[in-house]
Amino acid sequence: MKVRFWGVRGSFAMPGADFLRYGGNTTCVELVADGGGRLVIDLGTGATELGRQLMAGVFGAGKGALSILLSHTHLDHIQGLPFFTPFFVPGNRLRILGADPVSVGLEDTLQNQLAPHYSPLGALENLSAQVEIETLVPGTSLAIDGFDVMTAAVPHGNMWTTAFRIAADGKTLTFLSDVEYPAPDQPTREALELADGADLLVHDAMHADAEYGLRKGWGHSPVSAGVHLAEAAGARRLVLFHHSPDATDAMIDAIVADAQASSKVPVFAAAEGHYLEV
Amino acid sequence: MQITFWGVRGSYPVPGPSTVRYGGQTSCVEVRADSGACLILDAGTGLRALGQKLAREAGGAPGNYHVMLSHVHWDHIQGLPFFEPAYVPGTHIAVYALLTAADELHQVIGGITRHEFFPMPLESVPADFEFIEVEPGVAMRIGDFDVLPIALNHPYGAVGYRVSADGTSIAYVSDTAPFTEILHKQHFVSGLEDLTHDDRSALDRLRGDLVSALRGVDTVVYDTHFLPEEYARFPYYGHSTPDHALDIVTGNDVRCLVLYHHAPSHSDDVMDQVAVTYRDRGAQVGVDVVTAREGLVLPIQPARAARGGAGA
Repeated sequence: MKVRFWGVRGSFAMPGADFLRYGGNTTCVELVADGGGRLVIDLGTGATELGRQLMAGVFGAGKGALSILLSHTHLDHIQGLPFFTPFFVPGNRLRILGADPVSVGLEDTLQNQLAPHYSPLGALENLSAQVEIETLVPGTSLAIDGFDVMTAAVPHGNMWTTAFRIAADGKTLTFLSDVEYPAPDQPTREALELADGADLLVHDAMHADAEYGLRKGWGHSPVSAGVHLAEAAGARRLVLFHHSPDATDAMIDAIVADAQASSKVPVFAAAEGHYLEV
Repeated sequence: MQITFWGVRGSYPVPGPSTVRYGGQTSCVEVRADSGACLILDAGTGLRALGQKLAREAGGAPGNYHVMLSHVHWDHIQGLPFFEPAYVPGTHIAVYALLTAADELHQVIGGITRHEFFPMPLESVPADFEFIEVEPGVAMRIGDFDVLPIALNHPYGAVGYRVSADGTSIAYVSDTAPFTEILHKQHFVSGLEDLTHDDRSALDRLRGDLVSALRGVDTVVYDTHFLPEEYARFPYYGHSTPDHALDIVTGNDVRCLVLYHHAPSHSDDVMDQVAVTYRDRGAQVGVDVVTAREGLVLPIQPARAARGGAGA
């Protein structure tokens, strides 16, 4: 199983010269199994480039099928949806799976994103591809296109998001973005279970620890929370993810150096375009 | 008066090596009168950096801000929840917009911070928001500015603004299709539709009103999302080319045309070519053509009479 990061930024897309090495696009991650199966997590602005890449293959001919997991529907995780070009080709089959962490259901939320005042697309029905929206209940497990997916709810400020443990080809990736535990060294039981022995743990690292005091309660982790979880759960490698829009390449370099100095688990920062063997 | 470009991109923000020079943030322009009075045109992702600057200037004190929206497509409003002055208690933010495809302006704008999209609902944001509907053709006095909303041709409607102060004026014309092949209304379009006689009259009226409103304006910022070959494929998307913009301003006593709302696919190298091509075409008809890039500051000439008949 390989993973490719198409968007690694949190909250807000950041163009500009200071964000070139790690990348400024918001959250989008692609998993590819050795047999060719594909699974996507989140549709931030990084999804626009992924869409272009997919269109060069069967999706351009209207013969593609893809499942997309959404961690939640804050805009930085769905703002690429209206620009994900496989949606515009008749014949493509796209399935979006996500939970309902708020009182509004997933389908209504996505309809509202495309409502005529916000988008010329108007409604999901105007997407040419066949689109299915499926509500998942955190805690359940799913088999999707050769991937075994475990899901769990994790705390995110005044709501929760869905985290994933995804296994294929005998390898395991855990995706824990947009999460804040009661304390950086107190991961929730669900987080520990999802990360248990993972080959790769992708974890929210929105805040440098020095800044975290000012932003406690905002729903995101300091870098040390991921380090602590990786060590406690026996993960093999930790990938810092969901970088702050204020974190320049140089700042992320420094954050990684600090984390490496304190972590018993190998740690690095997700960068746009990185293709990793899990 | 001067204008500063904080976001020049259309559709969605585009990070990466190919947008470093022209910028990847979406629509946002700051207008400043000589008095220091500020007017914000559109609240795309460029608004975040403008808000950081305004917050620094205010030094923590509450302020009054005026945000004029052309329409409420995401690329024109997405910066609003990240506007730093909104988190200073006592701050007043007036948002002006055309009401499109909805019943209540406050629900449309407030909708972008509903809990499924953003962690903090608008009611909890410390600033006090006021929502004001604009009507094309009905002039408004906003602080030191005289503002005229102008109807444009875009799905579900959009307005441009002519903004006058200090004896001069600018105009912001984004987003709009040209006034020839399609009349955008209140429904989803997936291709060109046959134009009725009434549609053609409506298009002529829209174009005529726009040309009148722009007459004698010093600097016109215009939606030139497409290259001509791209427009030919997507004439129903609601955007123009630089040729359409030049056609509107030529012979209309406009000194400067600013190309704006660049397609997300246009790299810096493409924009360099656009800039050279249309600077030359503008020169042939007496219009200075400037291609907008993030961070560009344009002083607006105070006296039209000093122009020596450019554009005549």
